[in-house]
Amino acid sequence: MASLSEEVLLVVKKVRQRKQDGTLYLMAERIAWGPEGKDRFTVSHLYADIRCQKISPDGKAKVQLQLVLHSGESTTFHFANESTALKDREAAKELLQQLLPKFKKKANKELEEKNRMLQEDPVLFQLYKDLVVSQVISAEEFWANRLGGVTNTDPAQYKYKQEVGISGAFLADIRPQTDGCNGLRYNLTADIIESIFRTYPAVKQKYNENVPHNLTEKEFWTRFFQSHYFHRDRINTGTQDIFSECAKQDEKGLKSMVVQGVKNPLVDLLSLEDKTLDEGYGVCGAQPSTSNSNRTVKESSNYAIIKRFNHHSAMVLAAGSRKGETPTDQASETSSTDGNSRDSDFFQPPVKKVKLQEEYEDLQQENRPKTVPLNLKKSDRYAHGPVPLQSQQYTTSQDIINSVNYIQHEMANYKPNLTQVLSSTVATSAISALSPGGVLMQAGAQQAINQMVPSEVQGELKHLYVAAGELLRHFWSCFPVNTPFLEEKVIKMKSNLERFQLTKLRPFQEKIQRQYLSTNLTGHLEEMLQTAYNKFHIWQTRRMMRKT
Amino acid sequence: MSDMFIFMAQVYRELQPFVAHPEGGGHGVLEMPSGTGKTISLLSLIVAYQRAFPLEVTKLIYCSRTVPEIEKVVEELRKLMEFYSKQTRESNNFLALALSSRRNLCIHPEVSSLRFGKEVDGKCHSLTASYIRAQHHSNPSFPVCQFYEEFDAVGRQVPLPAGIYNLDDLKDFGRRKGWCPYYLARYSILHANIVVYSYHYLLDPKIADLVSKELAKKSVVVFDEAHNIDNVCIDSMSVNITRRTLDHCQNNVDTLHNTIHKIKETDAAKLKEEYRRLVEGLKEANVARETDVYLSNPVLPDEILQEAVPGTIRTAEHFVGFLRRFLEYLKSRLRVQHVIQESAPQFLKDIYDKVCIDRKPLRFCAERLQSLLRTLEITDIADFSAATLISNFATLVSTYSQGFTIIIEPFEDRTPTIANPVLHFSCMDPSIAIKPVFQRFQSVIITSGTLSPLDIYPRILDFHPVTMASFTMTLARTCLCPLIVGRGNDQVALSSKFETREDFAVIRNYGNLLMEMSAIVPDGIVAFFTSYVYMENIVASWYEQGILENIQRNKLIFIETQDAAETSMALEKYQEACENGRGAILLSVARGKVSEGIDFVHHFGRAVIMFGVPYVYTQSRILKARLEYLRDQFQIRENDFLTFDAMRHAAQCVGRAIRGKTDYGLMIFADKRYARADKRGKLPRWIQEHITDGSLNLTVDEAVQLSKHFLRQMAQPFRQEDQLGLSLLTLEQLESEEMLQKIAQVAHQT
Repeated sequence: MASLSEEVLLVVKKVRQRKQDGTLYLMAERIAWGPEGKDRFTVSHLYADIRCQKISPDGKAKVQLQLVLHSGESTTFHFANESTALKDREAAKELLQQLLPKFKKKANKELEEKNRMLQEDPVLFQLYKDLVVSQVISAEEFWANRLGGVTNTDPAQYKYKQEVGISGAFLADIRPQTDGCNGLRYNLTADIIESIFRTYPAVKQKYNENVPHNLTEKEFWTRFFQSHYFHRDRINTGTQDIFSECAKQDEKGLKSMVVQGVKNPLVDLLSLEDKTLDEGYGVCGAQPSTSNSNRTVKESSNYAIIKRFNHHSAMVLAAGSRKGETPTDQASETSSTDGNSRDSDFFQPPVKKVKLQEEYEDLQQENRPKTVPLNLKKSDRYAHGPVPLQSQQYTTSQDIINSVNYIQHEMANYKPNLTQVLSSTVATSAISALSPGGVLMQAGAQQAINQMVPSEVQGELKHLYVAAGELLRHFWSCFPVNTPFLEEKVIKMKSNLERFQLTKLRPFQEKIQRQYLSTNLTGHLEEMLQTAYNKFHIWQTRRMMRKT
Repeated sequence: MSDMFIFMAQVYRELQPFVAHPEGGGHGVLEMPSGTGKTISLLSLIVAYQRAFPLEVTKLIYCSRTVPEIEKVVEELRKLMEFYSKQTRESNNFLALALSSRRNLCIHPEVSSLRFGKEVDGKCHSLTASYIRAQHHSNPSFPVCQFYEEFDAVGRQVPLPAGIYNLDDLKDFGRRKGWCPYYLARYSILHANIVVYSYHYLLDPKIADLVSKELAKKSVVVFDEAHNIDNVCIDSMSVNITRRTLDHCQNNVDTLHNTIHKIKETDAAKLKEEYRRLVEGLKEANVARETDVYLSNPVLPDEILQEAVPGTIRTAEHFVGFLRRFLEYLKSRLRVQHVIQESAPQFLKDIYDKVCIDRKPLRFCAERLQSLLRTLEITDIADFSAATLISNFATLVSTYSQGFTIIIEPFEDRTPTIANPVLHFSCMDPSIAIKPVFQRFQSVIITSGTLSPLDIYPRILDFHPVTMASFTMTLARTCLCPLIVGRGNDQVALSSKFETREDFAVIRNYGNLLMEMSAIVPDGIVAFFTSYVYMENIVASWYEQGILENIQRNKLIFIETQDAAETSMALEKYQEACENGRGAILLSVARGKVSEGIDFVHHFGRAVIMFGVPYVYTQSRILKARLEYLRDQFQIRENDFLTFDAMRHAAQCVGRAIRGKTDYGLMIFADKRYARADKRGKLPRWIQEHITDGSLNLTVDEAVQLSKHFLRQMAQPFRQEDQLGLSLLTLEQLESEEMLQKIAQVAHQT
């Protein structure tokens, strides 16, 4: 059995599925279940196919785990081992929790990639519509030799993935709900947890320190929500709280940010005023002291809220831009640690210089004439430019006068030779042959095809060409046919081509016939198809001969 | 652009008189929206005058409020001068420079690394004081500032070459030459054509006496961003004394006493010499004053400097004894159990009755202390700030019998159980500090983006303006949209007035307004509250109601705190969030630091929401005393002044968002009281004229609809061509007959 060679991560015995006892296997890429005593799996799902898992509530008699697939089907496992059912289920759940996101991402990534390609390339999109949506070939076939090629050839393009910022209100999304019996329920998702970690690195550190050695994940988050840290208006009281350290760290971070000062001198309120009044002067004088001693409890809690909001916003902002701006951040840090950077103009942020010279864009003289953006339809023609002048034979004015004189002379002496003219019938036929639609004008009609055929027909024709080209590419890529797989494929492609001819090409031909257009339009397409058929027939007959 | 010429016509009218009659000066009050070229118009007109009549207008003193604003003015000036030299094809010999505190100008490696202005001043003093330098002479290992030494040795002979010097240029120049930029700038303002500095240098007598004393009489003075000028005047003349101050002062006096003892044993001649000097009068005390920056006395009337120091405090021991007595008296006054309010003469009478201190020696207190500190060679003057404060108070209280009040409060109103006695000696008359300026200089122009109502400024500053005008913007598109939101969606009246302050319905509706706005306004929103306490309460209840969380879905939230450094950080992050497209909300406070000094140009402020009317805290006794004084002296009713004060701050807040004609922004006044004519009428004309009758009492939903419409319109591209002929003029258009007529006409009307 091939699947046995896979790495088995977890085996859980006594798991029922459809009232049948069996064993659940969690493997590297799929989850599988086989009935008791049998040597094969009756249930097997790739992780990538699983949308989510659900578990039965803690209080329930049956301990169950349900897998919901992307297709909408679901499979329920019942953990039947009385003593360890719960533990088994938890183990399976935990493992799945770790595994599923990996595969989910992979699946999503692929989908995203396909989506992106279709969006970026309208031709491909049309092709997709023509071939896949109308079921000429299947989606897998369509992508089979596209996706790999693209992702392999230019990973650079794929690399610039935009970092997604954090919603400022992620904490608001965990609205607690009362569960009816004096408790609160917080809904945490993986996204929110990631947001918390990214915004508050101190919490992440705590998590790494404590989970799972000291606390389970659930306990950790329970404590988190109970801590004053989460509730910003509560004032730090106890020290047994593991998050009190986080709060202290935040405080420290905030303070260091404040001490570091701001880089933009225009917003530095400390240096804004040129001369502040000395202590003791001024009207208001006795400012309400900022020390906490004579603040009421309410006031200091209000103050704490304000501080936390500033901190939170700053952290969210930092988390959003952390990735991109690390190098510049470092640069600025080195400059600030450079000693007295404040007075040295070299380090003065360029912002200041720019902002001091207020520019009114409406007063700026526009020196340059308005430019029209260059819009090139055929860039190669632009690139090659006009042909360089070749030395030509110029006719002098004397020559021209001479020739005019000569013609005048000739005309003066012209005598019609009426006996040798064409007969009237011949002349008429010649005229008809030369008028539009006539035999001799055929070439001209061909040239004017883009004027004679309405544009939508042209468009359709283009799509047909692209689609046919794609199919033919698939067809011809099968030759030389040297594996059974290719053999199979070439036969399929042949039928695809036929189907294409039947469902796409024929209706088009009928349409242009109805519009009285020349059927030649599709001649070349048919020719191409015919060539393919011929090739196929030759190959087939050869094969038959070889077989017999 | 056309506004600029109308404005210039106005300024011209004001300057005209003293070209014709050099004796008659002219002062003016002008309001013009920011970003319409106020600074450049003033500069170019006055510079033109200076070039045309170099003997009549010798100097331009341009005062602004913050350091960035000062630097901006110099940059504008630089552009103007470049234009001049391009047009005339000759380099002009104008010298213009900015002056700022040591903190912004010092290039000494050690001193300039200090972060706070006070530290820098103290350190600088300890390296440049005259006796320190004398010691250095005898003992070269004694540290001095080589930049100052260099400047002192050669810097004064060669005047600063002509040019435009911003703060950084001064520093560069100083580094190149090895001269101290600060002292170089202070020395150079005497012969510079244009000086740009903070208005403290002119208004605060403690500094003005030192820096601006010798500036030429034929100067034109401009106070830009002057909407708060009366408060600056008052602040610079007011003193607060707490128990802590007195304790510090006690220590200072003890130190003085000990030092005197020591010196007496070693070098009694020194004290004798000082005594001799004091007999000769204070004139000589000015020697070597430039470097010995004892923050010198508040407005000493000239006659005092002519007189000799009274005998009772002439010897050092007597003076220290005198100080002790004065100190003990103040301590006894602070032991009161109830609030006391009295005038300066009452105070003087009381002090004479109780401890037999006369008025005359009190008047000399400040000067005497400086002299003593100098004699005793005290290095760290920052340590003696308490003693200086007390002596300044003594001089002030004995010099002015009017315009000041003394209030002694045994405790703060909020905490009646905690004894925290404070003696407020507060100035109520801003004209005292600004009077010398009006008297000395021939023309003073007070200007700002928000000065309405204009007529109140001449009254409280006590001067007679030649011109008073409020200008509007000529706009190619209405780029500001003032809305008065008076009701919530549930028809609850919105107001920050005291009775409904705690009302949950109002708070909820305010939150709702902010939430709706956060969903439709792009980039930055700035919201102003009437006070810190009010903001803290509202933020807390928004937090409890989950409103803030919903707002966070749309934008990040930053909140101003009372800590300036923290707020700076929040502000920077706010701008970062606006910059990277996330969008943010800044919750801030009217009268706070942000509302006074930070501009929210373009996307940094697409909407300003003013929650409530920012009345000053009316229960304060100082304010009550001032209101009373205003009523008695200037016939200004209390309510008028309070409304004026509230509305100028509101205008100041909302005006932060519009900084030019290409800028645009919503101005939302969220209080139903704004709809009343007496409030609305006090807004600047350029805001008033855009308030339609239809936008007077909107609900939140209606405001949202109007805002959506406005924002959509504003988001359309706006090019130069759209403005040409309307708010922008080409040279031909400007010279056209029609335009010139229009300017002349408007200038005459106003």
